[in-house]
Amino acid sequence: MPSSRKLTVSRAMSEAIAQEMRADPQTFVMGEDVGAFEGVFDSTLGLLEEFGEERVRDTPISETGFIGAGVGAAMSGMRPIVELMFVDFIGVCMNAVYNLAAKNTYFSAGNCKVPMVLMTGTGGGYNDAAQHSQALHATFAHLPGLKVVAPSNAYDAKGLLTTAIRDDNPVVYMFHKGLQGLVWMASPAGAATEVPEESYTIPFGEARTVRSGRDVTIVAISMTVHGALAAAEELATEGIEAEVIDLRTLVPLDRDTVIESVKRTGHLVVADEDYRSYGLTSEVITSVVEAHPDYLKGPPQRVAMPDIPVPYSRPMEDAMLPNAERIASAARHTTGRG
Amino acid sequence: MASGRIQVRVPNDLWDPSETEEGVIANWFCEDGAQVEQGATIAEVAVEKSTYDVVAPAAGTLTIAVPQDGVVQPGTVIGYIAMG
Repeated sequence: MPSSRKLTVSRAMSEAIAQEMRADPQTFVMGEDVGAFEGVFDSTLGLLEEFGEERVRDTPISETGFIGAGVGAAMSGMRPIVELMFVDFIGVCMNAVYNLAAKNTYFSAGNCKVPMVLMTGTGGGYNDAAQHSQALHATFAHLPGLKVVAPSNAYDAKGLLTTAIRDDNPVVYMFHKGLQGLVWMASPAGAATEVPEESYTIPFGEARTVRSGRDVTIVAISMTVHGALAAAEELATEGIEAEVIDLRTLVPLDRDTVIESVKRTGHLVVADEDYRSYGLTSEVITSVVEAHPDYLKGPPQRVAMPDIPVPYSRPMEDAMLPNAERIASAARHTTGRG
Repeated sequence: MASGRIQVRVPNDLWDPSETEEGVIANWFCEDGAQVEQGATIAEVAVEKSTYDVVAPAAGTLTIAVPQDGVVQPGTVIGYIAMG
């Protein structure tokens, strides 16, 4: 096969699911429009054709029902991959997620495993308004018992999804709609990458340093990785060398990689498309200052969504997204050069 | 082994251009200059929100003629594959 094969994130996800379904007959997919439509965000391409309706199950518009069914199937020995089309819809099925999936392993002293993947579309930037544009990373990361994954590119998307499917614990796999490579939604150039044909896993809790730099550490995840890299390019023209870290997973969180970087750079910016307060950005900053109050030489910066519902209006939404311009501005501020 | 250069085309009957004037290259899955295998999916054409996979008609070295987001019609040559 061509050594330079590039895949979009959506194709990489579909390939990971197909390979795991071939390997294990207990693995199946269900959700709204995952069958003939192949996923509203193309996450189940080709699966119905290969595996049929028993294993690629279109559900009614009842997240309360089918996500509860996913938890039950997982506890009964199957490995369900359940798609919640938009993470914004989590409200109606939260009990199944945070009181059942997240806790039943504990309640049963490990006798009942819950090997379920909840995969869900996140993020804004395409003017879909307040109920279809949220990231909600921290809503899940805050709850003990769930692992939380948010890839930024196709290579990571395949490896992390394979790891998620093989994990005996519930994993919330949060894919950003704007990274999928959809024909109707532009994605950044770095989202599609070379992806090996063979199956591979990426361990949870291992951040990746995607750019090295000595002056400031920019920690990002999912879509903000691309904004951080663009910001780093801009900052480099001003003589500020930024190190960019892609966390890849919120739970477990690779605090060590961040701390090691900040020890060298002395400055920290954290960028996340979730809301600003009580979120990932605060958690990362606290992880550094709590353990090493002497490392930072400037005020750490949060670049995140303001604590308001996401506006429908394009100029208003653009004004609040944690984009390259805002990340660069925060880096200049904390390094005292802006 | 065959040698020479073969065109990569948008199929002539992919859609009716009298109803829908043009489509676009939504994605290239290989870089310009990449080695491709016959039958590998190398590009994706989007027409009216539907997509169509373009496969390599031969093995060889790909030259991209129409870049991503470039406008295409049925029959448009979007690239070449140098064989052998």
